[in-house]
Amino acid sequence: MTLAGSGARFGLPLAALGLLLILATAIGSSWIGPDRVVAAFLGRGSETDTIIVWTLRLPRVALAVLAGAALALAGLLLQTVVRNPIASPSVLGVVDGAAVGVVLFLWIYSNEANALTVSIHWLPLAATLGAGAFALSVALLAKGDISQPARLILYGIAMAALAKALVTVLVILGPVYRASQALIWLAGSVHAAHWDDAAILATVLAAALLALIALRPALEQMALDDASAAATGLAITPAKATALGLSVVLTAAAVSFAGGIAFVGLIAPNAARALVGAGFGARAVLTPILGAAMVLGADILARVVAYPLELPTGTITALVGAPYFLFLLFRQIRHG
Amino acid sequence: MRWHLPALVLLTVFLAVLSLHVGLRLHAPATVWAALTAPDGGADALIISGLRLPRMVAAGVVGAALGVSGLLMQAVLRNPLAEPGLLGVNAGASFAVVFAFAVLGVSGFLALSLFALAGAGAAMAAIFALVLGARGALTPVSLVLAGVTLAAFLASLTQVLIVTDEGTMESLLFWLAGGFADRDGAVLWAVAPLLVAGVALAALSAGALDAMATGDATARALGVDTGRLRFLVLALASTLAGLSVVIAGPVGFVGLVAPHIARLMAGVAHARLLPRTALIGASIALAADIAARRVVVPQEAPVTATLALIGAPVLVSLVRSRRLRAAA
Repeated sequence: MTLAGSGARFGLPLAALGLLLILATAIGSSWIGPDRVVAAFLGRGSETDTIIVWTLRLPRVALAVLAGAALALAGLLLQTVVRNPIASPSVLGVVDGAAVGVVLFLWIYSNEANALTVSIHWLPLAATLGAGAFALSVALLAKGDISQPARLILYGIAMAALAKALVTVLVILGPVYRASQALIWLAGSVHAAHWDDAAILATVLAAALLALIALRPALEQMALDDASAAATGLAITPAKATALGLSVVLTAAAVSFAGGIAFVGLIAPNAARALVGAGFGARAVLTPILGAAMVLGADILARVVAYPLELPTGTITALVGAPYFLFLLFRQIRHG
Repeated sequence: MRWHLPALVLLTVFLAVLSLHVGLRLHAPATVWAALTAPDGGADALIISGLRLPRMVAAGVVGAALGVSGLLMQAVLRNPLAEPGLLGVNAGASFAVVFAFAVLGVSGFLALSLFALAGAGAAMAAIFALVLGARGALTPVSLVLAGVTLAAFLASLTQVLIVTDEGTMESLLFWLAGGFADRDGAVLWAVAPLLVAGVALAALSAGALDAMATGDATARALGVDTGRLRFLVLALASTLAGLSVVIAGPVGFVGLVAPHIARLMAGVAHARLLPRTALIGASIALAADIAARRVVVPQEAPVTATLALIGAPVLVSLVRSRRLRAAA
């Protein structure tokens, strides 16, 4: 790859993300021109613009970017571990498992006055625990089938159906004041984003990136088959487990703030492969950028397509992602 | 086993009768009998003949139809995981109805039913095209993955339509959730006989399905036109699913679980499997519907949730089964 070529391959997605950032901030109940958005970014805008941009619009934009990056990275990790591009974390029961965690959390820790008895900051932890429990059960079911992602995904679908049914029953069982809180969360709440949420998600993402750097040699080996990978002398199994765990934590964190946004973890790593090839290092850099751009773009579409109504962001990613998944599946079948 | 069939008939009748007695309030048999034979217009009579009887018929008929639909798909696709919910056929019917209602402004029951049939048929055709296109390289698990993805795609389109059209949301959200309670009476009494006829019609294909199970070459040697049979049987299967959706909305997992239990009881001969599957499907739907009324009293659980709680473990055990492992 020439220097100019690689510059374009990383530069173009970055530039696209930047443009989407400005566009996403410009759009809202009132249009703020890109020049004013940039001025507000730099702290030189008018007072109203600055308040709208920094307290109302940017938290949502930041959350979309961070959630997209986290989901994409989770997908890359999972696809590397199972060595198959059709795997993605959102179908492993993680999303609905997180919902079970959240509903249980709201059920246990809310009082008669419809208020939480503990800080809302514990919610992501509850989501992660729920996601982890369901991901673990999928992993246990698929034990020995780890190299057969189709099977893995089907277990995920079964567990997701189970989790959905559990959520429905829990929501009905719980008194109405708990249920309404649960429903607000389940519907996805990007529009009610706060900087606090973005900060937590950013922390998780940063920690995951550090872990990723430590895991990099092992993950690069995983691109080989198991035997050659073992021959390199690196301990593959603990690295695999760590990577899977990291994938679950990233998905759960994203889902607990942004709701169920499907197929990003599937598309972003594949798109990165198309742009920069199979090398793990380059893909690890590009995948989160593409994921962030995807979710941000989907969020913009979700806001403008049916304006003034807002579509769930996940429907947009599903409408793009589902056909892409079918394409990947079909290509894999064709090539045996 | 010779006693299986009478036992299943008894079970189905028992559950059907039970579903007339059980609800938020329990009614004595004498009250139920009086409500059915000599309705006095009182609250009990209204509840039993006006609410519970249609609900019982809906659960029984739709359960049987979905079970048989699943069995037919499993037979001609040679895939033990095939069923209208997992293959996206229910989602196709639902999307077509929502599209006709929200975008085309169709509201007549007959027209909406035709759209449901067209939607179910189109989804079934897409799945079959995938099977043909893969030229035998498609494992059962991969086909179900494709079906589930198709269902997710159609569900997203449906969601876009109902979010952008508040009127559609109000009219169709309840129906879209799936279930047997409070269904449109006129629709039920018009469609239920069709479903019964469809289930009966399926019995005609039993011999050909047995021949098909031995492999396409053998089936052709036995004089079965495999292409025509596949087309007819899948058309019948998607019709049963589409009409079920018209009555009850999308209801999953019955079509997966009922044929599976029937096979455990009666082996592989379709002449034996078809009636058993119909009865088991009806029993599962009736039992799930009764359970939905009682598990979270005084609320009512959606029957789709109770069915998922039964169906998901069955799906897992099927994916893990040795037969499927060999096929994959």
